Formats: sequence, C-alpha cells, structure tokens
Amino acid sequence: MIARRIGRALPLTPALVLLLLFLAGPIVYCAYIAFTDLQLTGQAHASFVGFANFRRAFHDDAFLNAVWLTLVFTVLSSLLGQNTLGLALAALMRRASKPVRTLTGGIVITAWVLPEVVAGFLLYAFFRREGTLNAILGFLHLPSQNWLFTLPILAVSFANVWRGAAFSMLVYSAALDEIPDEIEESAEVDGAGGWRRMWHITLPMIRRSIGTNLMLNTLQTLSVFGLIWVMTRGGPGDRSQTLPLFMYEQAFQNSMIGYGTAVALLLLLVGSLFSVVYMRLLRTEV
Amino acid sequence: MPRSRRGSGHRSRRRSRRLAADLGLLVVAAAFVLPLAWVVLSAVDPHAGLRVKIPDGFTFGNFDAILTPDITYTPLLNSLILCGGATALTVVCAALAAYPLSRYRSRLNRPFLLSILFATSLPITAIMVPVYALFVRINLIDTMQGTILFFAASQLPFAIWLMKNFMDGVPKELEEAAWTDGANSAQSLVRIVLPLMGPGLAVVTVFAFVMMWGNFFVPFMLLLSPDQMPASVSINDFFGNRGMVAYGQLAAFSVIYSTPVILLYVLVARRLGGGFALGGAVKG
Amino acid sequence: MRPTAVSILALALVTSAASLTACSSGSGSSPDTVKVSFKESMDNTVKVTDNYLADIKKQFEKEYPGKKVELVPIKASDADYYTKLEQMLRSPRTAPDLVYEDTFLINSDITSGYLKPLDSYLAKWQDWGQFIDTAKSAARGEDGKTYGVPDGTDTRGLWFDKRVFEKAGLPADWQPKSWDDVLAAARTIKQKVPGVTPLNVYTGKPAGETATMQGFEMLLYGTNDGAGDPLYDKSSKKWIAGSQGFKDALSFVETVYKDKLGPDVSDALDPNYRNTVWGELMPQGKLGINLDGSWLPQSWGKNSGHEWPDWSKDLGLAYMPTQHGQAPGKVSMSGGWTWSVPAKAGNPDLAFDFIKTMQTKANAEKWYIANSGIAVRKDVAGDPSYASAQPGIKFFTDLVASTHYRPAYPAYPKVSTAIQEAMEGVTTGDASVEKAASTYDSTLKDVTDDQVVTQ
Repeated sequence: MIARRIGRALPLTPALVLLLLFLAGPIVYCAYIAFTDLQLTGQAHASFVGFANFRRAFHDDAFLNAVWLTLVFTVLSSLLGQNTLGLALAALMRRASKPVRTLTGGIVITAWVLPEVVAGFLLYAFFRREGTLNAILGFLHLPSQNWLFTLPILAVSFANVWRGAAFSMLVYSAALDEIPDEIEESAEVDGAGGWRRMWHITLPMIRRSIGTNLMLNTLQTLSVFGLIWVMTRGGPGDRSQTLPLFMYEQAFQNSMIGYGTAVALLLLLVGSLFSVVYMRLLRTEV
Repeated sequence: MPRSRRGSGHRSRRRSRRLAADLGLLVVAAAFVLPLAWVVLSAVDPHAGLRVKIPDGFTFGNFDAILTPDITYTPLLNSLILCGGATALTVVCAALAAYPLSRYRSRLNRPFLLSILFATSLPITAIMVPVYALFVRINLIDTMQGTILFFAASQLPFAIWLMKNFMDGVPKELEEAAWTDGANSAQSLVRIVLPLMGPGLAVVTVFAFVMMWGNFFVPFMLLLSPDQMPASVSINDFFGNRGMVAYGQLAAFSVIYSTPVILLYVLVARRLGGGFALGGAVKG
Repeated sequence: MRPTAVSILALALVTSAASLTACSSGSGSSPDTVKVSFKESMDNTVKVTDNYLADIKKQFEKEYPGKKVELVPIKASDADYYTKLEQMLRSPRTAPDLVYEDTFLINSDITSGYLKPLDSYLAKWQDWGQFIDTAKSAARGEDGKTYGVPDGTDTRGLWFDKRVFEKAGLPADWQPKSWDDVLAAARTIKQKVPGVTPLNVYTGKPAGETATMQGFEMLLYGTNDGAGDPLYDKSSKKWIAGSQGFKDALSFVETVYKDKLGPDVSDALDPNYRNTVWGELMPQGKLGINLDGSWLPQSWGKNSGHEWPDWSKDLGLAYMPTQHGQAPGKVSMSGGWTWSVPAKAGNPDLAFDFIKTMQTKANAEKWYIANSGIAVRKDVAGDPSYASAQPGIKFFTDLVASTHYRPAYPAYPKVSTAIQEAMEGVTTGDASVEKAASTYDSTLKDVTDDQVVTQ
C-alpha cells in the first residue's frame, strides 16, 4: 500500500526537486540575506544586522518614492490600462467584422509576444523627443513633450499597456464567449442599451474573470523590470524608478546587496498578498 | 408585419453597431501598430531615425551589418540553448508531475496544488537578487545549466497548473482499457494521455518558450561571460549606446530576434484557434 | 492518433539532455590560458583597447610558447562595468586571471578580498623601479601591500573649441581665472552662437564616476586653499559633511543646467553621453567648453573611430580655475587604471607575466600614446619621442604638479554614488542645493558607518 503510494508520487519528484531547490531555496535565502549587511564591494565579512535594513527603508525617501511610483505604475498600467482596454477590445471584437477582428487581434497580440527588451526599444523610439509620438503631435499642431524626461512614469505605463493589453483581451474574450447568446439577445429585446447591458448583465457574469485578470495583471506589473530598464533605467533622477529597479540599483549599483534584498523581501510579501487573494478567487477550482 | 419590421430594424442596428465596433478597433489597431511599423520600416531603411517614416530607399544593408557571429549568431544560439533546454525540462517535469495530480486522489493534492498556484503568481523579479547571491554560493553563477535549471523552476508552477487542467480533460476510461491490457502508468501516460492532449502540450511548450525567449532579467543576473549571453541581454549591450545607435541595425536585429516567437505563436494559434486556449486556461 | 504530443515530448527530452551535457563541459580554466578582462567601449567604432591588447596577446603568445591569452571584453557603460566586474570577482568560476581596475574602486575591492597582493612578484620585477611614486601608491591597500600595476595616469582641464570661440568673439588663448569667468564665457556663447552647447559638465548617476570626478570634484577641490581634502579629513579619518564648498560646487552645477548653459538635461543623463561628446559634439564644433579628461584625443587618432586630424588646431586647452581664483589658482584631479590579479584567479603567475609583457618600456609607451594617457614610467616620461607624440601631452603632464587624488578608501565608491545623486537632483531641478546637500549628508552617514565629521 505504502509502496504503491510512493510509486504514484514518484513522477512528482523532478518537479518537486526543482521547485524546492530553485524557487523555495532562494526565497528562504532571501529572508536570510535581508537581515545582513552583505555588500558587493568594500566589506570583508557580512554580519547580521537585524531589522536595520527595513528601518532604513522606511526612512529612505528614495524607497518611499519607489513605492509611490510602483503604485502609480500599477494603477495606471494594470488596473486602468490593460484591464479596461482588454475588456473593451474583447467586447468590441464580438461585434466587429472578421477582417478587422483578425487584424486588430494580430497587432495587439504581436505586441504581447515581442521580447521585453525589443518592446522597450520600440517604445523608447516612440516616446523619444525625436520619436513618432512627437511627430504626430507636431502634425496635429499640438504641443510636443520630451516624454521620457518630463513624464517618464506615464511613458513606461503606456508602454506596459501596449505590451500587456493582449493578455486581458484573451482572458475576457474567453469569458465573454461563455455568456449564452440568449441572455444578451433577450436583454436586447427588452430594450436595454449597450452600456446598461454591459453594466448590469455582462460585467456581473464575468466578474470572476475580472478578479483573476486583475490579480494576474497586477502581479505581472509588479515585476516589470526589463521594459523600464531599457526605456529609462528608472531615470531621469528617480522619476520612473519602481521597486524592482530600486532594488537592483541598491543591490548592485550601490553595492548594498543586503539592503536590496530587504526591498526584494517586501516586494515578495506584497506579491504573496495578492497571490493569496487570487487563490481565494480560484478556490472552487482546486 | 411587425415581426419583419422588427427583423430589418434589428439587422440595420446590427450593421451600424458592427461599423462602430470596427471603427473602434481600427483606432486601437492604428495606435498599436505605430511602434511595430517603426521597427519593420527602419530595418530596411538606409537612413533610419527614431520616427516612423516611409524608407527613403530600400536596403538589406542593416541585416548584412548585423549578421555576424558576434552580434547575431552567438547570442541567438545561446538563446536557443537556454530556452530550448529550459522549455524541455519544464515540459517534461510538468507532464510527469501533472499525471499523479490529475489521476490519483490523495490528501496531498490540494495543498500541493495550492502551493503551485501560489508560486504561479509570485513576482520572480523580486527573488533575482538572492538567486544571484545563492548562485555565487553554490557555484552555479555564469553557467548555462544553472540558468536553465532556474528558468525551468520559475516556469514550472504555471506549466504544472496548465498541464494538470489539460490532463483532466482526457477521460480516464481510455486509460483503463490500456491498464487491463497490462500497461503501467508510465506507458499509459506516454501512449495514451499525452497524445490525446497534444494541443495542451503545445500550449504549455510554446508559452514557456515565449516567456523565456523574451526574458531579460534572469540571464542578465545569472550570466556574466559575454560569450554566453542570450539575445535578450546582448541586444541591450550592443545597442545600449543611445546617442550613437545605428537605428536601422537595431531594428533589423529586433526583427530577427522577434521572428521565432511570433512564428511559434502563429503556428500554434493556427492549429488551436484564436487565443490559443490560454485565455481559457487561466480564467477563473 | 496525433503524433504532435509524443514528438514534442521526445524532442524535449533530447534537447534537454543535449543542452545540459553540452554546457557542463564549458567554462573552467586551463592552466595554460590567461583570461584577461577589460572594458570595451560602448561606442562600436572605438577599438583602442581592443587593438592594443590584441597586439600584446600576439607578442605574449610568441614569447611564451604553448600559452594562450583569452581576451574577455566587457561591453558596458562605466557604472555597469564595475558591477559586472565585481560580480565576476566573487566566484572562482568567473574570476578572470587579470582585470582592469579603476583606482577609485581598488581599495573597496581589496577590502572585499577580491584582489591578490602582488608584492612577491613586484620584488622580482626590475621595471617596477621605473614607476613614479604616486603611481606605485595608487594601488596600495591600507595594509601596505600593492594590488595593481598602473598603466598610466590622467589629469583634467577645460577643452574649448576655438571655432566656437571665434564666432562668440572670445579669445583663442582663453584662460579663465575663476568660476565666474567660465560661466561668463558660456553665457557669451549661448547668446552669440546658437545651436551650440556652451559648457559641458558631466552630471548624475548614469555618468557614474565620470560625473563625480570630471564634474563635481574638479569644482569641489577648487573651493578651498588646495591644501586639505574637502571630501575626507585625514587627521580624524572621517568623511566631511555639511561643507560650504560642497554646496558651492552643487550651485555651479545647478546654474549650468538651470540657465541652460549645459547640454539638454535628458542628454546629460544618458549613460553614454560622454561618447556623444567625444565622438560627435566636439568634432562637429557643437560644444563650446568641455570640462573633461586628458585622454580625449584617443578617440580622434587615425583608425580610432572618430578621426579628427585637426583637433589640435580646432581646440584650445585651459586649466580649471579655483572658485574665486584664490591660490593655487588651478585645479586638476588624477586617477587612472591598474592591472590587477583577482584573488580567485586560476593562473596568477601567468597573469603577472602578461603584465610584464604589457609594461615593457616600448609597450607602455605605445599604450600611453594610443590611450592619450600620462606616463607613469620615468624612462618613458623622459623620452622625447613620447613628449612630442601628441599635442596636449605637455599641458596635461604639467598639471600633475597641481593635481589632487581622490580619497579612494573602501567607502569611496558609495560616497561617489551619493555625490552623483546630489548632482542629479540639482540637475533635474528635483532638489534644491540645500536639499541635495542635506540628503548627501545623511546618505554619507549610512554608507560610511557614521564615520562623518560635520564642518
């Protein structure tokens, strides 16, 4: 009996070993380093410093700035941007003609599939002073801006919407497909207008998808690094320095690996919090 | 007749609504296509700049300039080894792990699946600094195999989750027939279950590969030698010099580097229908 | 039945097995190969270091039959280079046998135990006697041991474009006597020569040590009497906070960018702006005055990327004046790079042999000239063929007499980063001078373990 049970669990081992060594291991190690003053250079031995790194973080203007920017970035690009645009695209696609649907879907998904760094370069070029956006604004006789300098957080947020809208679109398309046609039709017959129908019938029916999509988007957005790194490196100054970039800078550019890891641990905690909420939403599925 | 009047009104309302939807989508498409147009047009433009414009001339010079071992071939080969190896490892481990989770009832299934789900959504970026420190400690830093193992581990939670869901869709009765013929679980997994979930397997494979192909931070942290760098990092080194970048070459490289994942996506999407079932697989 | 699944799985197994075995045989150093890491320019056209090392490699492999040199260029901006290098030094797997270290970092890396003392090698090497004393001490740790062989030094001053000056009605033999003179000239250029950046002062974190040394310290070390060190108090062994000189230097930077005398802020904060300055702005006559190092001509020589044969005709040189023109009147900073052997190097002996080949008199001279460096070997410095090899060498060599060295103690790199942050704050206008200076003071306490004295 026991032998059979072990035999059955055997196929789990490779995955389990990998996960324990390379995922759980680093997390435990993270929790350890966060309480030391490990440095990249300038130090003979690291020592245990208790909560000093965390105390420092909460008195560090640059850290608080990074928290604020991460919040702005997440709300703008994930909550308002990807999520809303994705839903709008999915809803419009149900009505649009096939060629338009295919074309738009293709373009939006291409943006999603592109490697992160390439996407970063494309949007860097788009938002640069000499770039396409300003060319268009100039053509329309609107004032142009040096976007990456004056409003870098806005520029990287738009970049993240551009890159991530496809995911929400796919999730919502799948969700909307499951709404029986009869429900929409009967609502239409009752004379419910487009917006009211969306608000009172469609949205409530896909609310679980909205929940999961929001969680996944938010978690994805919390860990964006390459896109911002390529576009602005967190600058100028620290105007687009979100937590992952702040963490990297502290750990490596400023050589404070311990401090950077403490920031990482905080980020991980926030991530776990969202993760738990996400799991509650999915609870019935497991 | 009221009925037919309502029908024609219905149709015309439908038509105008479709027109509005088309228009809305086209506006979004136009906005989304601009950066993509830049990269495609600049790649063949002998005088590429930072804005979208009709090329003044047509050239393959940009491609010629970058098709050298240093700039293109080595980084792409490294990407292929890294992502190919890690994808393979991910898929194999996920398929093996999904089987008992999908087929046997156990008290441990639920906590295991919950932890997997939890791990799915952890921000991997956050653990990269400690992973770097750990890899220095255990002497895996700057090795392809170390990076492959980490890549695989980071993709595994989601891969197992997807794989288990797809496997649940394969009816158990088909296997039972094989069991009575004396096949063991390994045989029935390889001969019966996996072949029946081909599309699911393809989704997991392509998704893992695409995610890793584009990943910048992991190799950026775990690899150091220039000759081991995958394209995602080398592109930044070669073209990081903003002020003096040859934008045409940057665009050409971007095109070459992005093509494999786009092709993969198209192939899979073709076979499996739009959205490649991913949307369906993650929705709550 | 569909073949897809099985074939995918089979393919997966084969590739994973193949890739894992393929790379496990990689890396690991052979006893006959010396791995040399150096900084490669981000500017793809500049190959000065690459060419020089390729030449030395050839000589070395001929001189030591059976031995091989593997050059490992690290292509990165300044700040990224140091990070990458330190990451490599941490593990025996990645540590090269020889690394190119900036002297500002060397004490920090010595403290971390990344480097190997070279005293036993140096004692047996005759040529070491030819090195001038300041150069010998550049790579000396607090333990008195020597950790690197310097390949030259540098000084800093003002490069000005005579073409621009003529249009602005400024003299071709310009020599400012105070900071105000410098700003006045910049204002004249701004007014009379549109389309030209009047004055470049490097700034901000993206520029890294370049901002600290070429920019800030060239100002700061001109705010006092030239005797004491305005960053570090040697008698109490503490870093100096709250000095007026610090604020004055920040104000200068603020003025340059606020009054639009400098480059566009977004350009100045590009990590590779210096390449643009040397490669484009200066040759094209688009920069009036540039506060920069002695090594610039290296990018304008034949075959070095941005050939500019007339540079010595088009450009003039002036020393950087002290704040109010007070004695000693001029300011310069000196640093330089050394070749060092990592503590975890696999072939330290061979690595030192490579240093010896690089530092024969002939090869050292070749490098000083190619790299527009200032000689640290007495035999080369006294050689007329060196002194006349390049215009400007005399001007910058004379500055050595009035130059300053950075307090390159272990905490220095972090202090330097704090300076860059303060500069960046006033450059973008995100922080006032007062605010930036007080942020610096508190960061200083954090990064030096409170070893701070307030003035």
